[in-house]
Amino acid sequence: MNFDWTDQERSLRTRVAEVFDESARQELDLMEDAQPSELKEIVSKYLKPLAGTGYLELAVGLPDRGGMTALIAAQELPARISGSLFLSVEVTARIFAGLLSVPDAPEQIREILEAVSKGEIVGAAAVTEPALPDSAAVMTTAAWPDGDHYLVSGRKDFVTNGPIADYTAVVGLVEENPAVFVVEAGSDGLLVGPRIRTLGYNGLAVSSLELNECRVPRSRVLGPFTDGAVLDGIRLVQDLILAVASVGLMQRTTDAAKAYSRSHERGGKPVAAHQEIRFKLAEMLTLTHAAQLLTHRAGWMYAEAEREAETLVRCAKVFAAEASERTANLAMQILAGQGYVWGNVVERGYREAKYAALAGTTSEIARMSIADDLLTRYR
Amino acid sequence: MDFALTEEQLMFKEQVLKFARKEIVPRVREHDLEARFDRQSWKRLGEFGILGMHFPEELGGSGADVVTSVLAAEALGEAGVDGGLTLSFGAHTYLCADTIFSHGSDAQRQKYIPKLARGDWIGCMGLTEPGAGSDVASLRTRAVRQGDRWILNGSKMFITNGAIADVAVIYAKTDPSAGHAGISAFIVEKGTPGFTVSRSLNKMGVRTSPTSELVFDDCAIPVENLLGQEGNGFLMAMQTVEWDRSALLAPFLGAISFLIERCGTYAWEREQFGRPIASFQAVKHKLADLKIFLEAARPLVYRIAWCKDQGRPLNHLEAAVAKLFIGDWSLAPTNDAMLLLGGYGYCHEYDVERVFRDSRLAPIGGGTSDVQKVLISRLM
Ligand SMILES: Cc1cc2nc3c(=O)[nH]c(=O)nc-3n(C[C@H](O)[C@H](O)[C@H](O)COP(=O)(O)OP(=O)(O)OC[C@H]3O[C@@H](n4cnc5c(N)ncnc54)[C@H](O)[C@@H]3O)c2cc1C
Repeated sequence: MNFDWTDQERSLRTRVAEVFDESARQELDLMEDAQPSELKEIVSKYLKPLAGTGYLELAVGLPDRGGMTALIAAQELPARISGSLFLSVEVTARIFAGLLSVPDAPEQIREILEAVSKGEIVGAAAVTEPALPDSAAVMTTAAWPDGDHYLVSGRKDFVTNGPIADYTAVVGLVEENPAVFVVEAGSDGLLVGPRIRTLGYNGLAVSSLELNECRVPRSRVLGPFTDGAVLDGIRLVQDLILAVASVGLMQRTTDAAKAYSRSHERGGKPVAAHQEIRFKLAEMLTLTHAAQLLTHRAGWMYAEAEREAETLVRCAKVFAAEASERTANLAMQILAGQGYVWGNVVERGYREAKYAALAGTTSEIARMSIADDLLTRYR
Repeated sequence: MDFALTEEQLMFKEQVLKFARKEIVPRVREHDLEARFDRQSWKRLGEFGILGMHFPEELGGSGADVVTSVLAAEALGEAGVDGGLTLSFGAHTYLCADTIFSHGSDAQRQKYIPKLARGDWIGCMGLTEPGAGSDVASLRTRAVRQGDRWILNGSKMFITNGAIADVAVIYAKTDPSAGHAGISAFIVEKGTPGFTVSRSLNKMGVRTSPTSELVFDDCAIPVENLLGQEGNGFLMAMQTVEWDRSALLAPFLGAISFLIERCGTYAWEREQFGRPIASFQAVKHKLADLKIFLEAARPLVYRIAWCKDQGRPLNHLEAAVAKLFIGDWSLAPTNDAMLLLGGYGYCHEYDVERVFRDSRLAPIGGGTSDVQKVLISRLM
């Protein structure tokens, strides 16, 4: 047992922290109002120095799950500063690259992975479809062999990084079995939909995708797989990322509320002097610690391939997501009118907080699966 | 970060579970109903070696680390041991014996620790008073030096094990003008003239641990019964608080595992509308919430134990966070567990309502949730 950072974790954190100086914070704040072309520039600008820290190479894909504890130790830093940048980077490094990281991948795929680890490209993953949100095994996107190519057709929804990705990993079926098609931006038959306007994380570029007999060379196809292991593994990683994002959000809103409560005076003293305010802060900090340690332990279980890893990841995700909503709500109450003004950290956090509970494995699906796992033991 | 438990720790936890299920749990219902301390279980706990496991071998313990001690306490709750017995154990071992061990002279250790570790003697700790609960420093029990004796006057309230204790660690003012720095701790043995137990309280939960009011009326104790340095009492009390918020919280964690097992089993057995209630999403939702709470609380408690094992002296923030979280966030899931069993959940034979009652102490005893918030907001 060790609740401290190991030397490896600490030095990675130090290197990653250096990427995000004060000017970075200000620049990342601008992501909220940026156009996709600007977003691409900002994200690329941070991918490069992050690559230098080793951050992008950790825990990519199931074969590399052991890197998850070190990764989580470092992820907390960007997640605390900018949720949009964090998610954009993670979709590239862990989701897109994770889908590609299968043993014996073709040369071209390995080159793309290499480029990801060097911070040279932005990636996206297209799994979700309009009518079928929660199972990758049942989908309508399908592909047919055509010489040394596949022809892929279908529609994908909510593709994070869709408008700014150099490559998108599209999951589709070849007969019954899922395969991953790595589609280059600008390919014929690939139509990127208009950017979707969302409640929060407005610094993320999200869109739908349409594929009309899009030709993908076999050298950029993985699978078809006979089981769903790759996709299930990615779902788990995605849930962990959302848990970390929630912890970052809790830290961000708690920091802001704490600072405000100390500087803002009413009746001749800072509002932090009142129990009605400071007890909210105590609750926020307590929830943050709980969410953080639970996420750490879930990440550790994932890294160790512990039997309960899946359940723990779901617990962490549900808890952190809901605790982040509560925390953002309390922070808003502390900042009151100032918090309600558009564009500040707390107002943004309040809007962002809803995301984690409904993205990835939704809280509803997660709870049912946590319970199902328990129930099999008592049958 | 690393959350792995050692092979020995896991094995020991397993042994405690087995032991408790066989030797203690069968008598729990009866004693809870009668609000009666279970002496036989106490004796068995002592024989098993749990009552002083973290003390060195030469004093009758087994030199266990704090994490192992926490796991043992968790295992008792998980097995279904009632919160009364685990509270009696916690107050005895961590609030009383450990304070003597940590601050006592060699002679005091030799005299008390082996007896306490075996469970031959029972210990209690008296800090709270009728007029001084959260505001500990306002306590009014007075200790005055007269030649080679200390004379104690005052009363203590809500003292776990008070009515059955052979020895008590009592906090009293030696210098009423000095605030915190005027508090000292004393060892008082049962039968000392002037020391009486005035009444035991009838409580909602943790009913098998007697909770009593202690009265000191010109109670004279030998001068060597001062524990540690004069004026150091407040600090000593604060140090026991970490035990309070790790080893004493651990049975609450265990109790949640116990509820999960009860609810999981019941959900398959009970059929309504032609199928096991396990198939209803609302039932699963409750089960999931128990699990989520358990897993969120667990590392908070282990963290304090680990910090103690690293020799880090005071971890007030971590301790308060764990206490607040378990106190306040256990309320909803323990309620859910009761609801999951429907009308049976409301009945004693199903054990779930007992855990519900016992766990209501978590946001009160050892410092209320409000007091944790006072601490946390000050420390952050
Ligand atoms: C079963 C049981 C066993 C116990 N065992 C022991 C024992 O072995 N030894 C021992 O010494 N004590 C023991 N206690 C006492 C316990 O520690 C106290 O009950 C607890 O500290 C609260 O004190 P109080 O009951 O006097 O409440 P009070 O301090 O009177 O509090 C009343 C209410 O006011 C709130 N409040 C108080 N101060 C503040 C503040 N500053 N800000 C905001 N809110 C505040 C509290 O949160 C609470 O809601 C035990 C109690 C119980 C119920």
